[in-house]
Amino acid sequence: MHPLLTSRARLGAYLLGWAPIAALLTGIARSQDWSWAEAAALALPLCFFAALLFLSTWFLCRALPLGRTLEGLGAHGAAWGMAAVLMGGLWSGLAWLLSRLLAWIPGLGALPQRVGTALPVLTGLGVLLYLASVALSYLMLAQERAIEAERKGAELQLLAQESELKALRAQLNPHFLFNSLNSLSALTAVDPARAREMCVLLSDFLRRSLGLGERRLVALREELDLAKAYLAIEQIRFGARLQLAWAVDPAAEPALLPTLLLQPLVENAIKHGIAALPEGGTLSLSAEVQEGHVIVKVENPMDADVPAPKGLGIGLRQVRQRLLGRFGNRARFEAGALDGIHRITLVFPLETEP
Amino acid sequence: MKALIIDDEDLARAVVREHLSAHPDVEVAAECANGFEALKAAAQHQPDLIFLDIQMPKLDGFEVLELLEAEGKRPAVVFVTAYDQHAMRAFEAHAVDYLLKPFSKERFDAALAKARALQTAAPATPTPAATELAAAARQGKPLERIVVKDGPKVTVVHLDRLDWVQAQDDYVLLRTEGKNLLKQQTLASLESQLDPSCFIRIHRSYILNLDRLVRVEQDTKEHRDAILRDGTRLPVSRAGFQRLRELWEGA
Repeated sequence: MHPLLTSRARLGAYLLGWAPIAALLTGIARSQDWSWAEAAALALPLCFFAALLFLSTWFLCRALPLGRTLEGLGAHGAAWGMAAVLMGGLWSGLAWLLSRLLAWIPGLGALPQRVGTALPVLTGLGVLLYLASVALSYLMLAQERAIEAERKGAELQLLAQESELKALRAQLNPHFLFNSLNSLSALTAVDPARAREMCVLLSDFLRRSLGLGERRLVALREELDLAKAYLAIEQIRFGARLQLAWAVDPAAEPALLPTLLLQPLVENAIKHGIAALPEGGTLSLSAEVQEGHVIVKVENPMDADVPAPKGLGIGLRQVRQRLLGRFGNRARFEAGALDGIHRITLVFPLETEP
Repeated sequence: MKALIIDDEDLARAVVREHLSAHPDVEVAAECANGFEALKAAAQHQPDLIFLDIQMPKLDGFEVLELLEAEGKRPAVVFVTAYDQHAMRAFEAHAVDYLLKPFSKERFDAALAKARALQTAAPATPTPAATELAAAARQGKPLERIVVKDGPKVTVVHLDRLDWVQAQDDYVLLRTEGKNLLKQQTLASLESQLDPSCFIRIHRSYILNLDRLVRVEQDTKEHRDAILRDGTRLPVSRAGFQRLRELWEGA
């Protein structure tokens, strides 16, 4: 569908755009000693017909998209030239026909003769106007394409977010899962009651993490519950090597944040902190509210002999991106090590379910 | 038969111990919660067989095996791990067995029988070096650190702290944080494990950490020197200069 025909407003604006051209045409005719009546009677209907006729350029331009090479431009140029000459001819022919019809009106009897002498000028003008409308059509096409690209971009971004969340859901750390099952396998002989407890904890964790993946935003409370379930399992695996320090202000619990944001932080703290230290250590998790913002901190001791990684790993980068993607510059993500303690801080505005 | 169980998780060691209790001829000489304990226990007990976890703090399973090899000890090994199964598949080409956690009694017994057979048989199939196994398990990813046994001390050198490496006969000299460490390995074998975008063989006898390079000076027509951040000069061969140039031009 022609973009100018999609709404009345657009068509109106386009036709209005022809008014100055009609005025110009009238002016030229006046300078050739035409009377006002002769000039206006020809120019107005002629421009109106031309406006409708030249709508066709859009279809031509769509069929001949602008490439990047000059060779293509040559071939297109020939097509535009031919179309322009044809349309110019058609236009001046129309003028001639119109003058014949208008000659019946008293006072306009001289029109056919005047048009006859002005035919070359009219044809030239028609060609120029046609070429101008070609340029306009390409402009419209380019704009249309830009809008389309933008829409597609937004759509793709949405898709990427969806698939990212799906990937997160599927990202149940296999190493964790198999190690837990191995602990379970040991417990069945050593401590059957504990084995059953572990089964329940694992099921609880799996159910929660599968359920969370369905949603985009989730209350901090649920994220913390998931972390708790996860850490309870890791505590069985690591025994005395893993101590927990938990400090959560209840006021922070209803705060909404992107789903599964906390889990990678806690898993990281275990993997690079507790599991990398022979004697283990304390994993601290705190959440508080300050001036309308939630501050979540995850801290773990780390091996002093291991050099600090350059930049963030992919997991942390993703957390940062998702946090900032949701809250923009109202949120902050910090990660760093000081005195053998690795600390990640998330700060984001306290927003709750309405 | 004396065995060591090496795993940083109590429960994981308990499973192996439980399965071993059905084989009274295998004596568990010690249980070790990390690589350093394992080296100590191995020196003390001279085990015939070790059950070895791969992911452990400080020293991983491959590094433990490598350090045992460096002392001329090579007990039969069964890797016990929750490691990526694709990585472990690379082991199937080698005469080394592995158990993926969690495992069944049958699978455990089979691994034990295989280890026993390998131990008693003449070394017809040469046991692969620990560094080779580690490289296979890394699946093409470059090395991140090097373990060096320096007398009784074990040093872990993280590669971003390694300045350069020099070949010295059967050894390589590693220059790190102002110290020189010697390790029994050839320069070529080390080179093949390093990240080629960070470490460049600038000379028949030298590998350089690119991050340390400041400039290359041409002394005479055929002789160039690499000048490092700390002022050290290392020779650059024509082929080495070519490699550096390729890297610059590729960047």
